[in-house]
Amino acid sequence: MSLSNPRRRRACLAALSALILLPAAGCADGEPAAGPGKSIKIGLLASLSGTYQAVGKEIRDGFQLYLSSHDGRLGGHEVQLVVADEGNGAATAVPAATKLLKQDRVAALTGIVGGGSVAAVYPLLNETKVPFVGSNGRPELKDVSRVWHTSYLSDEPGEAIAQHVRDNVKGSVYAIGPDYQGGWDELRGFTDAFVKAGGKLANPDGKTTFTPFPATTNFTPYFAGIKASGAEAVYTFYAGSAAVDFVKQYAQSEIKDIPLYAAGFLTEGGVLDAQGDAARDIYSVLNYSPDLDNAENRDFVAAWKAKNDGSPTTYAMASYDAAAVLDRAIAAAGDNPTPERINAAIGQLGQISSPRGTWQFSPSTHAPVQKWYLRQVRQDGRALSNTVVGDLATVGG
Amino acid sequence: MAADLGFDPYLVPAVDGVAYGLLVFVAASGLVLCFGVADILNLAHGTLYAIGGYTAAALLDGGWSSLVLALAVGVAAATTAGALVAVLLTRAARRNHLTQALLTFGLALVGGSLLVSAFGPDQPPVRVPAALDGSVVIAGHRYAAYRLVFIGVAALIAGLLHLAVRRTRAGMLVRAAVDDAEMVAVLGVNPARVRVGVLAAAGALAGVAGVLGAPIIGPGPGTADVVLLLSLVVVVLGGLGSMGGTLLAALAVGQIQTLGVALAPSAAPFLLFAAMAAVLAVRARGLATARRAA
Amino acid sequence: MPRALRALRRGITAVVLVGLVLAPSAVDDYTVALLARTLALGLVAVSVALLTGVAGLPTLGQTAPYAAGAYASVVVGGQLSDVGLVHLGVAAAAGAALAAATVPLVVSARGVVVLMITLAVGELVVTIVGRWRSVTGGTDGLAGIPPVRPLWGLPVLATDRARYLYALVVVAVLVGVVLLVLRTRVGLLLRAGRDDEARLRASGHRVALHVAGVHVAAGAVAGAAGSLLVVAQQYVSPADFGFDTSALLLLAVVIGGTWSVGGALIGAAIVIASRDWLFGVLPGQAPLVLGLAFVATVYLLPGAGHRPPAVRGRLLPPALTRRPVPDRPSPTGVRA
Repeated sequence: MSLSNPRRRRACLAALSALILLPAAGCADGEPAAGPGKSIKIGLLASLSGTYQAVGKEIRDGFQLYLSSHDGRLGGHEVQLVVADEGNGAATAVPAATKLLKQDRVAALTGIVGGGSVAAVYPLLNETKVPFVGSNGRPELKDVSRVWHTSYLSDEPGEAIAQHVRDNVKGSVYAIGPDYQGGWDELRGFTDAFVKAGGKLANPDGKTTFTPFPATTNFTPYFAGIKASGAEAVYTFYAGSAAVDFVKQYAQSEIKDIPLYAAGFLTEGGVLDAQGDAARDIYSVLNYSPDLDNAENRDFVAAWKAKNDGSPTTYAMASYDAAAVLDRAIAAAGDNPTPERINAAIGQLGQISSPRGTWQFSPSTHAPVQKWYLRQVRQDGRALSNTVVGDLATVGG
Repeated sequence: MAADLGFDPYLVPAVDGVAYGLLVFVAASGLVLCFGVADILNLAHGTLYAIGGYTAAALLDGGWSSLVLALAVGVAAATTAGALVAVLLTRAARRNHLTQALLTFGLALVGGSLLVSAFGPDQPPVRVPAALDGSVVIAGHRYAAYRLVFIGVAALIAGLLHLAVRRTRAGMLVRAAVDDAEMVAVLGVNPARVRVGVLAAAGALAGVAGVLGAPIIGPGPGTADVVLLLSLVVVVLGGLGSMGGTLLAALAVGQIQTLGVALAPSAAPFLLFAAMAAVLAVRARGLATARRAA
Repeated sequence: MPRALRALRRGITAVVLVGLVLAPSAVDDYTVALLARTLALGLVAVSVALLTGVAGLPTLGQTAPYAAGAYASVVVGGQLSDVGLVHLGVAAAAGAALAAATVPLVVSARGVVVLMITLAVGELVVTIVGRWRSVTGGTDGLAGIPPVRPLWGLPVLATDRARYLYALVVVAVLVGVVLLVLRTRVGLLLRAGRDDEARLRASGHRVALHVAGVHVAAGAVAGAAGSLLVVAQQYVSPADFGFDTSALLLLAVVIGGTWSVGGALIGAAIVIASRDWLFGVLPGQAPLVLGLAFVATVYLLPGAGHRPPAVRGRLLPPALTRRPVPDRPSPTGVRA
């Protein structure tokens, strides 16, 4: 600070330096975890700002829907839900998770939109020994003893639909997706299973075409390559605004008549409204659709529609299920549900009935063994919706 | 690439590059005015585009009259927002550009948050007039009708802008201010008024780009950043303050993002920034040589 | 009067330092972890201030050597030893090497052109890091990085407090070194080059060499900060080095006063800590509050900008300026 700065500046700096200690002083109030019959703190981390906030808000609302329809209790304990913002990824997720785990001392953590954020938070989970019931992104992890997911592994949608595409497409299939870990996993799941089933990729070098993510907003140049490849169908995975751009541009491109198959996120939730008619007839694979016919789903969809516009998404459903998992695990963990006991109880849950149908945790991956559905975007009353047109494989473990 | 060889597969990307480049130009033209005339680094420029985009999404219903309405409302809103930025900049205008960057980046964060809380986190649908909502076949290739029409409209806007800068009194002042600001001030033109006028005009251009470009770069939480970054790239490549240079740079960026991607998909993530760094570094070296000679 | 002021300043500096040392015992683990990360970013901000304020090269690309240092300390340092000092050395060398490689790009550019070139360099490095999966773990990054010991024979840094104190010591030493160097003739020459490049050149100094030197030195500092980041959060991914990080760092340096190394540290501490803190306490509202804070800063900070722009050449061409610059050609001069 010894350079030629004016004096006023220094006094100002001093005042500001006092300011940095203010947040530190304002938040030193750690509380112990729940005691017998007392309330229990659950941390929910999801993207409430930034690129993925649409998904993050579904995750938050799905969890809160379960709470509000169960008297705000999980396993008999009143729940204090502490929500924090994951932002755009790891850089903002880590401090927010640190707050939940080390300051709020939550008994369990849920949510997290991005796989990269999960990987970043993972060392903290091991350090604080808190179980994590994730409801969306899931990276590859060495040790999953405290990590559970109610969603899926990223390569499973592609794996589940590969045989169907092989059986129904006469010719080669072009694989294209976003260039990041989620895209690599989603596309690898499809291409591995598809080639194993005897299918042939139309991509020039036999490898999936990856587009810069999230920088790509214009897919037209890639469509020219697809046209030139002579593909009979396209398989893809995009989510969020990239999904809107891809679908709208696809429908107006020279390959608009080539059938489009996708992991269900391409047409899931709010993006379908933005895509409008351009999304009509797209086939997608997902573990959920709001028109599934079972008692849990009818209750879930009715409760959701009473509080929100539109139908629930797989994101909301997975978060609702995360609350259900915690509900049963906390109940099974006894009067004093410590994080360790909750974690042990999750491993003993067995079958879980859910709006998606019944599923259970795989003992090796801690992700669901579940049935996948083939859906098509069709007119449903005045709006377009993802209508289930068939069952696909049961995948997981 | 088995079916067609030669140029044919690249026709659509090349045409698309023109549409994309012209959109980037219209979006960036306001930023050129800010830079060249008012000497302001406006990092809220992308947010002005997003205002136009959200207006289009909210008002367009598939009819022509709604397009006119959306244009009017979108341009008015973005113009007002631009003028507001200028007023808030009053205190920072005489400071260095990094202070302006601090203020306008702050405004961009605030504006982005307000837009998302008003319109929701999802990308809203944009319904263009039904006649344009399809595709046409040119030279054996299918291409989006809206984009084809957009090329014509954007070229018209670029032409009008050229005329406005060359032929009108306001345009003369603009050129005079770029060349010799002191002299313009001596002529009795209030710099504060110039600043408000320029930022309002920049807002209007961003609003036009936002409304007309909504079907191409649609409104959403990330739109402002995308547009700001592309605009900055073309304005700097175009030589900071030159409309013609910016147009050339925008068309080049359009081709890099489309034809370049189609020709070398594996290099796609590196193309834009590698090209920009190379061009700027080479040009800076040339200038440095000139500086030493001077 | 100046003596009294100097004493006051020293007193405040001492109070802040004591406060920083004692902080871990006063606050919870979360705040300590937050402060440790903030220290790492503060050190990057120091390197940004070196370039922006001292050498006059406004930069958006210090995330590049920062990333190089972070990954080098995990990948190379992890192979060599578990001693933090070794990791720091490896990281600083990697940062310096990357900065040296980009010297030809920036050395002759000025003003806003430097901003855009460094932005491009930063984005290219993040893209490479995200795609080089076998080494960097791709976009998901590297998790479960083993803890280091500060020096041979000392225990590993197993707690948040230990990691924070380690980061504090490293930052204090490095910032001290930077300040000492700036007090010498080197610092004088750098500031002279920033304030009047033509005159310095006319007096026989090789300005380009000075600029290259400070660029490499700033790269080394940012690289060392990368190693601290890895120690602080035991995790590294491309998301730590994105455009928003470099933008916030540059703004933090502007808030702190571009020419002041201590100011840069404090500016970064305020911006980064309040961002991270806001993401926890005000879910979804952090960008709004941060944006308002930036706007308010411009209105509240009394000194900001009363000095002439401390940037080599000017950020923009000299249109509408009240200071004629006849002896210097426009930094971008393409329009002519």
